[in-house]
Amino acid sequence: MVLILALPPAVVYGQQATTASQRYQAPIVKDSGDLKGPRQPIFFRHDIHAGEYKVPCMYCHYSAAVSTEPGIPSLQTCMGCHLYVAGGSRTGVKSDTAAVRAERAQVQLLRTSARDRKPPEWTRIHAVPGFVHFPHMRHIKALGTNGCANCHGDVQNMAQVYQVSSLTMGWCVRCHVQRKVSRDCSVCHY
Amino acid sequence: MTDSIDRRRFLKVLGVTGAGAATVSACGIGPEPTERLIPYLVQPEDQIPGTATYYATTCRECAAGCGVQVRVREGRAVKLEGNPDSPINRGRLCSRGQAALQGLYNPDRVPHPMVRNAGGTFEAIDWDGAIQRLRAKVAEARGKGIVFVTGAEVSSFGDLVDEWLKQIGGRRLSYEPFGFDALRAGNRLAFGTASLPSYDFANAKYVLSFGADFLDTWLSPVEFQNGFTQAHAFDGARSASMAKFVYVGPRLSLTGMNADEWVAARPGTEGTLALAMAQVIVSRHLARQPADASRLVGLLSGYAPSAVADAIGIEQDVIVRLAREFASSGGGLAVAGGMATQYANGAAIVAAVNILNYVAGSVGSLVTFGADMAVGSAGTFADAEALRADMAAGRVALLLVHGANPAHSLPGAFQQALGKVAYKVSFSSYMDETTAACDLVLPDHHPLEQWGDSRPRAGVTAFQQPVVQPVFDTRQTSDVVLQLAGHSGTFKDYVQGKWRGLQPRGRGPAVAADKFVFDALAKGGVYGEAPTRAVRLANDLSAIVPPLLSEERGSGGEDQTVVVFPHPVLHDGRGANKPWLQELPDPVSKIAWHSWVEVHPDTAAKWGLATGDFLALKSPFGRQEFPAWLTRSIRPDVLAVPTGQGHTAYGRYAQDRSANAFELLGVQVNGYGGRTFVVRASATKTGAHRQIVTTEGSPRERGRGTVEVLGIARAQSLRPGQAPFHHEETPEYASAAVEWWAERQHEKAEIGDYKGEQPRWGLAIDLAKCTGCAACVTACYAENNIATVGEDLMERGREMSWLRLERYWLTDAQGEPQGAVNSPMLCQQCGNAPCEPVCPVYAAYHTPDGLNGQVYNRCVGTRYCSNNCPYKVRYFNWYNYAERGGKYEAFPEPLSMLLNPDVTVREKGVMEKCTFCVQRIRGAQNQARLEDRGVRDGDIVTACQQTCPSDAIVFGDLNDRRSRVSQLAGNPRGYHVLAGLNTKPAITYLARVVAQDTPSHG
Repeated sequence: MVLILALPPAVVYGQQATTASQRYQAPIVKDSGDLKGPRQPIFFRHDIHAGEYKVPCMYCHYSAAVSTEPGIPSLQTCMGCHLYVAGGSRTGVKSDTAAVRAERAQVQLLRTSARDRKPPEWTRIHAVPGFVHFPHMRHIKALGTNGCANCHGDVQNMAQVYQVSSLTMGWCVRCHVQRKVSRDCSVCHY
Repeated sequence: MTDSIDRRRFLKVLGVTGAGAATVSACGIGPEPTERLIPYLVQPEDQIPGTATYYATTCRECAAGCGVQVRVREGRAVKLEGNPDSPINRGRLCSRGQAALQGLYNPDRVPHPMVRNAGGTFEAIDWDGAIQRLRAKVAEARGKGIVFVTGAEVSSFGDLVDEWLKQIGGRRLSYEPFGFDALRAGNRLAFGTASLPSYDFANAKYVLSFGADFLDTWLSPVEFQNGFTQAHAFDGARSASMAKFVYVGPRLSLTGMNADEWVAARPGTEGTLALAMAQVIVSRHLARQPADASRLVGLLSGYAPSAVADAIGIEQDVIVRLAREFASSGGGLAVAGGMATQYANGAAIVAAVNILNYVAGSVGSLVTFGADMAVGSAGTFADAEALRADMAAGRVALLLVHGANPAHSLPGAFQQALGKVAYKVSFSSYMDETTAACDLVLPDHHPLEQWGDSRPRAGVTAFQQPVVQPVFDTRQTSDVVLQLAGHSGTFKDYVQGKWRGLQPRGRGPAVAADKFVFDALAKGGVYGEAPTRAVRLANDLSAIVPPLLSEERGSGGEDQTVVVFPHPVLHDGRGANKPWLQELPDPVSKIAWHSWVEVHPDTAAKWGLATGDFLALKSPFGRQEFPAWLTRSIRPDVLAVPTGQGHTAYGRYAQDRSANAFELLGVQVNGYGGRTFVVRASATKTGAHRQIVTTEGSPRERGRGTVEVLGIARAQSLRPGQAPFHHEETPEYASAAVEWWAERQHEKAEIGDYKGEQPRWGLAIDLAKCTGCAACVTACYAENNIATVGEDLMERGREMSWLRLERYWLTDAQGEPQGAVNSPMLCQQCGNAPCEPVCPVYAAYHTPDGLNGQVYNRCVGTRYCSNNCPYKVRYFNWYNYAERGGKYEAFPEPLSMLLNPDVTVREKGVMEKCTFCVQRIRGAQNQARLEDRGVRDGDIVTACQQTCPSDAIVFGDLNDRRSRVSQLAGNPRGYHVLAGLNTKPAITYLARVVAQDTPSHG
């Protein structure tokens, strides 16, 4: 049997590496049809990456703290680990051959994308209309680098990401009022 | 069901079917289509999505060689700014430079190589096939005449082509339609050198232009405008030395409009005037005599003012006064060019002006040789004509064309000669007239997509680098030539190899060559001082006798003098397929999308001509029809037509529009080897009429308070704290009560976001600096995604320009124009805005930081705000200009790639207006917040401010007492437009100062 070394990614922002028994274990998903949120071309599991392995949001969504756009990870970022990580070796999954096969198949889809130089076309979940200019970096600055969950929900526990907040203007304004931040129209609408 | 129908839809349905029958067609606002997010394969390390990366390169829209920094967002070029490191333009850029983006993403570019097939039409071909074909044709044509026509190319590309042509036995002609032949020939006549000097406008104390339009198209307009403003603007510190500017010419161009005095000498007599002034200076010892002044006495003896005043058409004492002023200023700069040198005696006129400079002591101080401007390196017209003759005689077997369109500017004869050339190859990116006549097209990259360099003047090498991936399947011509010349490697390697050798030796420790090139590339080039060269008067001065022009009636009844001048925006026609440039109103006539002929009202009255009536001009060489524009800014005995329109190919915006003024000109080479742009023609009314599209409201200001003008004496007497234009709306007896009431109102209004200290954004526009060049207008179009609406809609007044230039003539006691005041008019961001209370949906509202906000998604299109605006600076989207495939589509693919992602693209039914570049304000505020600091003065630069070559516009926080704008707002020359309406604008205009007391201005 080949020993597959699952290299844990670099951990930043002071989170301690935990042992396998203490760590949150993302469940095996047998039927993704029940999950909320749009189906994506590759069944990318945020609960495995961000929840179990505690990859920080900005490891992949790298420009959220400096730019209006959060950024989508390039294939190079994914392959940084998945060149070696074939999937299916997490504790709790190792023993279930069907689950192992399923998770490996998704990693294989990614590797095929990279080999064929055809990036996956992710379905966008969070979007505001074109007349709204939402600056991510201002919100990260105000809420801190762990503030993503405020608007995007508990992504660390989502097998498939779905939209939690309505993202309507009323929803935005309510938070601005609560935190006594500017409600001026021209801050977002120009 | 609450919130089941949105407001806009409700009002729309209500209007049609009545309240009771309102149908609920959909819940909420219509859904956005699902977007896909496509990641990179490999993240480029210099691109962060949502932020811009800037690349330094060089503008190639004319031969001046200004440096640009291109703002690139996600791999798309969205804005050009001037490069502050370039000594040529110092961070400023003109409209043609700003519109280079529309050349890059032009929908009518040639997308791939094409070859003319047996049936005579173009068909696509792949690059290898095209190059093979070219190689074969070159081999075939060896020894039978190979000619490569380029534009003015003093660059590595030019050197490479010369090297290749030497290999294959060909020759190169660089062709510029307005090639400054007269200037070069005149310099040779006077000083024995045919090179172009550098002109120091910034240190001039008196500027005298003989037709040289140094603010529009002459040599290096951005550089000269920058220098001219430093000399001519009224700054408190240099108030004693505001340089007077006198313009001599038959018509007022953009440059002439900025003059303090217009001397309308008879056409062709400008040189005589210069020599008369020189005679006065020498004979009355008004300046320190140069050592060899005695040689000039003989030449000048026949030019006493009394002898020549009649021929010139102005009075003797005017000549004497001008000579006195010029000499006693201590820094007189006379420049000649443009219309005044486009006559048959142009070179002699230039030589005469050179003599004037010489006797006043400016040669060697304000006019220094040694710079050898590249624009003066183009072949002369004689060379172009020799080529035409060779072609017509069948002595050219292969013609290659790059960066030139001779078939448009040399119509008729050149087109015919083209037919005799065995094989014609074009490297043009556009299907212009010359390319349409060629057999093989290998489209070049746009200058923004390619590596290269240029040497606009000695000491300066301006680098060019690609800022985006090529938009189409084009290939850099320099790579093609490199391949044909048998070199290995790409032009990038070739040119970077050359750059390594540019490191100056002996100044400090040597840097690794690669590092040197990289650092220079970030700066946009290698900038060194031009060497200076002393010149002396030529040995033989006998040729400097400007003969007078003949005014005889021609054989075909030609009795009118017609001047053909370069359009300041479209120039020789190269700008005609860029909608921004077509929609930009000509700075003098305010006419867009069409050509015109300028006619003096007295002449027009004799002919019974009104503005818009077509006049057929027939010269011995051609006949063209132009609609008349009546103006007093031209001599009554002269007609003037601009170039630029009348294309028969080139693209959807340029084709079949108006008339081609070049058709009126012949191809004869005149005495000094140049082309004569003045021709005798007959003018007959055709009876046709056209509504000319013009944005001019009124040519006179009529004391309405839109522009204020001060004589220099009055301006100099103003002290800080004085406010001669201050308008007190409230009468004395009521002022205390009104103030008390206003304070109570403000207290009540200070809640929420409006509480506490806020910036108040404001602008200061100095009319003494604004020349009316309209670079700001095009920059605003580029920055704010403003739609071009086309000629039909502009006729109905539907143009969308957020910033317009209003031009009001300044007149003397006789009512003749002596220049004009130009006032940029944009949303004043009024403190007491008339548009805000009338919006039913609060789309127009006042922001806490002093802007008049316009929220596009709230706007329902009642247009009450525009109705109420006294400045008429609000613009309504009558049609969906952004709709793909729509009737009034403003951004057909791939023009949509130049849209600025930071600014919303407006839909039909929405009002828009200047926002003080609020996207830049928010961007700077975001950046400051990230860096835990406040916004500093100078962090935020509006698009108009950034590009203005005169630095006339200043933006900043009026509540910050140390900011530049608040100091200018407190300037005694400051005033508000239409102040009596009590709108409390945030824009302070500084009154124009004229160097002599003009009795009236309207």
